[in-house]
Amino acid sequence: MTMNTKVPAIRRQLIQMVLLTSGAVLLLTVTCLFAYDFLTFRQTSQRQLDTLGRAIAANSTAALAFNNSDDAQTVLAAFEVDPHITHAALYRLDGVRFAVYPSNAAAGEFPAQLKADGTGFRFGRSDLVGILPVTEGQRRMGTLFVQSDLGAIYDRMRLYAGIVGLVVCASGLLAYFLSRRLQQRISGPILALAEMANAISTRHDYSVRASNVGAFELDQLTDAFNHMLGTIQSSEARLHVQLGHLNLLQHITHAIGDSQDLASIAQVVVTTLERSMPLQYACIARYDATVGTLTVSTVGAASQAHSERLALQPGTAIVLDDSVIAACVKGQLIHEPDTRRVALPLLQRLAAHDLGSLVIAPLVAERTLFGVLIAARGEVGAFTSADCEFLKQLSEHVALAARQAELNSALQLAYDDLRRSQQTTMQQERLRALGQIASGIAHDINNAISPVSLYTESLLEREPNLSERARNYLTTIQRAIGDVAGTVARMREFYRQREPQLSLSRVDLNVTVQQALQLTQARWSDMPQQKGIMIEVRTDLAQVPTEVMVAEGEMRDALTNLIFNAVDAMPEGGTLTIRTRRVEPSSADEPARIYIEIGDTGIGMDEATQRRCLEPFFTTKGERGSGLGLAMVYGMITRHSAELQLDSTPGRGSTFRLIFNAAGGLTVEPAFATPAIEPQPLRILLVDDDPLLIASLQEVLLGDGHDVTAANGGQAGIDAFVAASGTAQPFAIVVTDLGMPYVDGRRVAAAVKAACATTPVILLTGWGQRLVSEGDIPPHVDRVLNKPPRLVDLRAALNDLAVTAPLKRAQPGRSR
Amino acid sequence: MPKFVRHAGLLFALLLATAAGATAPDEYQVEAVFLLHFTQFVEWPAQAFGDAHTPFVIGVLGRDPFGSALDDAVRGETVNGHPLVVKRFAGAADVAPCQILFIDRSAVSDANRVIDSVSHNGTLTVSDVAVPGPQDVIIRFLNEDRRIRLRINVDFARTAGLTISSKLLRPAQVIGTIPAQ
Repeated sequence: MTMNTKVPAIRRQLIQMVLLTSGAVLLLTVTCLFAYDFLTFRQTSQRQLDTLGRAIAANSTAALAFNNSDDAQTVLAAFEVDPHITHAALYRLDGVRFAVYPSNAAAGEFPAQLKADGTGFRFGRSDLVGILPVTEGQRRMGTLFVQSDLGAIYDRMRLYAGIVGLVVCASGLLAYFLSRRLQQRISGPILALAEMANAISTRHDYSVRASNVGAFELDQLTDAFNHMLGTIQSSEARLHVQLGHLNLLQHITHAIGDSQDLASIAQVVVTTLERSMPLQYACIARYDATVGTLTVSTVGAASQAHSERLALQPGTAIVLDDSVIAACVKGQLIHEPDTRRVALPLLQRLAAHDLGSLVIAPLVAERTLFGVLIAARGEVGAFTSADCEFLKQLSEHVALAARQAELNSALQLAYDDLRRSQQTTMQQERLRALGQIASGIAHDINNAISPVSLYTESLLEREPNLSERARNYLTTIQRAIGDVAGTVARMREFYRQREPQLSLSRVDLNVTVQQALQLTQARWSDMPQQKGIMIEVRTDLAQVPTEVMVAEGEMRDALTNLIFNAVDAMPEGGTLTIRTRRVEPSSADEPARIYIEIGDTGIGMDEATQRRCLEPFFTTKGERGSGLGLAMVYGMITRHSAELQLDSTPGRGSTFRLIFNAAGGLTVEPAFATPAIEPQPLRILLVDDDPLLIASLQEVLLGDGHDVTAANGGQAGIDAFVAASGTAQPFAIVVTDLGMPYVDGRRVAAAVKAACATTPVILLTGWGQRLVSEGDIPPHVDRVLNKPPRLVDLRAALNDLAVTAPLKRAQPGRSR
Repeated sequence: MPKFVRHAGLLFALLLATAAGATAPDEYQVEAVFLLHFTQFVEWPAQAFGDAHTPFVIGVLGRDPFGSALDDAVRGETVNGHPLVVKRFAGAADVAPCQILFIDRSAVSDANRVIDSVSHNGTLTVSDVAVPGPQDVIIRFLNEDRRIRLRINVDFARTAGLTISSKLLRPAQVIGTIPAQ
C-alpha cells in the first residue's frame, strides 16, 4: 500500500477539525460578546452622557433663567468628572451660546447657535453628541450641547480585543493539546487497522486478527475487518485447493494427451492421483456392459500393496451393488465418507484395511459407462466436496481422452485397412495388366511353335527310316517344344487371377518343386552369377508319394515366392535347400502329412521381423519388395488348411516349412499314357488364319487318313461348312482356331451348330488351359485343345467325338 | 406652542436689544421675565390658592415700572394649572392677596407695612430697592454692572411659608439661615 503524502493523516485531520471547530465556536462567541458589549457600551455611554447632561441641565436652569453665565459656567465645570466629555455648552432659548466647557475652549469648537428644536443623541465617527433641553418644571429654559469622544468605547474594545486574543490563544493551545491527546483514541485503532491491512497485503497472511479497543463504532469496524479477513482466509484456502486441483488436472490432461491407449492413460491417471492428491488407494476398473461387471484394469504403483491385501489386483472382478452400477451408468459420482457404515462387501474390505473414505467416479463418454475410477483414503470423511468435484471433472476428462484414444486407434485401423486394400487393388491392377500382356505373348508363342511340334511328332512317328542321330535330334526338339509350351502354360498360371473357389487337383509336390526350381532358375543361378555370387541349390525329395490336393498354380506360386525370398536373403551367396518328406500318421484316423522345407543360409530374421513377416506389405527389401510374397503364401496355406512354420536365426538363415495333408487314394497316371488309338477316317473342316498351322495340321491329319478341307479365316470356314452341309458329303467334324480376325472361333462354332447341331466342334487355342480352368468353355464347342496341339490329344479328341457323333445323331434334340 | 414662541421672541428681542447697545433691554423688561421665572423656582403653600381655578396673581404695588412687559410675559402662562394674572395696586390699602408682590420704589415707604401684612400668607415679595424698616422683601433685584443679581432672604421666605429652590439660591446672594435639611 502506498501512502499519498498529499492527503493529510487522519491524526492531523482530527486535530485540525477540533481546532477549527473550537476556533469557530470561540470566534462566534467572542464576536457576539464583542458586538453585544459594543452596543451595550454605546447605550451605556449615551445613557451616562444623558444622565450627566440632564443633571447638569437641571442644575443650570436657574443660571439660564436668571441670566447668570458665571453660575452656568460653574455648573458646566461639573463635566470634569468625565474625562471623555470634551465639549459642552449652554444655549439660551433664543439660540445664543450662554456658557461653554471647558471655559478656555475656542468658540469655533461649538455650534454658533442652537435652536430649541432638535434634541437627542448622535454618534459621529469619533464622538457622541448630545443635544438636551434645559427645562424647569414645564418651562423650557435653554439647550445643553454635550460632546463626548468615543475613546472610552475604543479603550474598552482594545481591552476586549487583548483579552479575546489571549483567550483564543489559550483555548487554541488547550484545544490542540486536548485534541492531540484525544484523537489517538479514534485515529489509533484506525491506523492500527490500516497498518494491519498493509502488513496483510504484503505478507498475505490472513490469519492475523485485530483486537477491539472499546469504542462501539470502532469495534464494529474491527469486527467487520476481522470478519472480512476470515472470509478472505477461507476464500484463499479454497482458491488454493482449487488451484492445486487445476494444476493437477492440467498435469494429468497433459500427460494423458501423450498416451494413445486406455491402459497407459489409466496408468498415468492413477499414478499421478495417488502421488499428487494424494490417495492411499487408486485404481481404474473397466466396465463390461454386456455382462454388467466391473474388472480392475489398472492399479496405481503405490496402491499395489493395498491391492493385494484387498484382492483387487488387475483382472479381478469387483462386486458392487446394482444401484451403485446404475448410478455410475447415469454418470453420478459416488462418495462414501465412511466405509464402515455400509454393508457392501467392497466397502467392508476397504474398511477392514484402514481405508475410511471412498469415491467412485464414473468414466462416461457419450453416455456410455466404460469404467470407474476408484479412489480411497485412510481417514473417514477425507474427501471434501472440492475433492469430489475435482475427481468428477477429472473422470470426465479421462473418459473423453480414453474415448479419443479409442476413436484414434479405430481410425488408424481403418486407415491401414484402406491403405492396404488400395495397394492390393493397385497390385492386382498391375498383375492384371501384366497378365494381359503375358497372355498375348503366350498365345503368339503357342501359335508359332505349333507347326514345329506337329511336324516333329509326325516325323518321329511316320519316318521309321530316320537315322539314329536325326531321331535323337527330333526327340530333343520335341522335348524342348514341350518345355516351351510348359513354360508358357506356367507363366499363365503365374499371373492369372485367383479363382473365387479353389479347384483342387492331385499334385505331386516333388514335381511342383522341380517346376518351381526350373521357373526360378534365372534368379538363383544366372543373376547371382553375374555378380560373382554362388548359390548352391540342394534338393532332398522324398522317394515316397508326395501327392496332395492343392490348386497347382497357387502351390507353384508359393514355392516360387519362398525361393525368391531365400535367394534375396543370401546376398553374399549360400545354400538353398528344398526338402520334401512324408510323415505317416500316428493313428489310422489321421491322414499322412507332407512336409516341404525351403531353407537358406542367409541373414535370417530377428524376432520382430519373424512376427511381422507374414503381414501384407511388410517388407525388408525396400522398394524392391512388394511386401505381398509371404502374405500370398500365408493366404494360400490358410485356404488349403495347411500349416506354415518358420525357423529363423539372425545371421544363420531361415527355414519355411509347409505342411499339407497327403492326398488319399491311388496315384493316377498322366493322361498322355493312354494307349494309341486307331484313327477312323473322317471328313474334317480345318479353320485357321495361320497358313503355317493350317499346312502342318492338314498334313498331319491327311497322314492319319482323314479328308481335310482347310479354310483360311472364320468366314471362309463358315461358308465352306454351309456349302458342304447340303451335299452328300458334309463335314463330320470342325476344328477351328479361337483367335481370328473379324470372325473368331466362337462365331464359327455357333454357325456350325446352327447349320448342323450334331457336328462336333474342336476349338484350338493359345489360351486353352485358361479357358478350361476358368470354366469359360464357349457354347457350341465340344472340346478345347491347347496349342501347340499334341497329336495324341488331337487323335483322342477326334476319336471320341467321331464315335459319339452318330450316337448323338440317333438322339435328335439334344445339343450341347 | 405659540406661547413658547412668543416668549422666545420676546426674549430674543430683548437680548438683541442688549447686544446692540442702543436698544439695550430695559432693566424692567428683564425683571418682568425674572418675576415670571420665580414661579418655577418657588413653591407656594397649597392654602395660597382657593381652588384650581384661582388665578396665580402677580401684583405690582405702586407705579408700574414694567409697562407692557409684564403683561406680555405672563400672557397665556399658567402656574400648576392656575392662570397667571397681573394686578396693580396703587397703594398699600389696595393690596389684595397675591402670590408675587413687586414693590416698586415709588411705594417703598409703605412697603414695610405691606410686607408685614403679607409676610405670613404665602406672598413672595420682590423689589429692586431696599425697604427701610425691620421688614424686607424676600427677593431683591440688585443691579450690578448692568447685570441683574438676586439677593434672597431665606428667613423671610420661610416665614412666608415659601420654599425656594436651591437652584435659585445658588446663583443668588443668600441672607438668613438655610436650614440644614
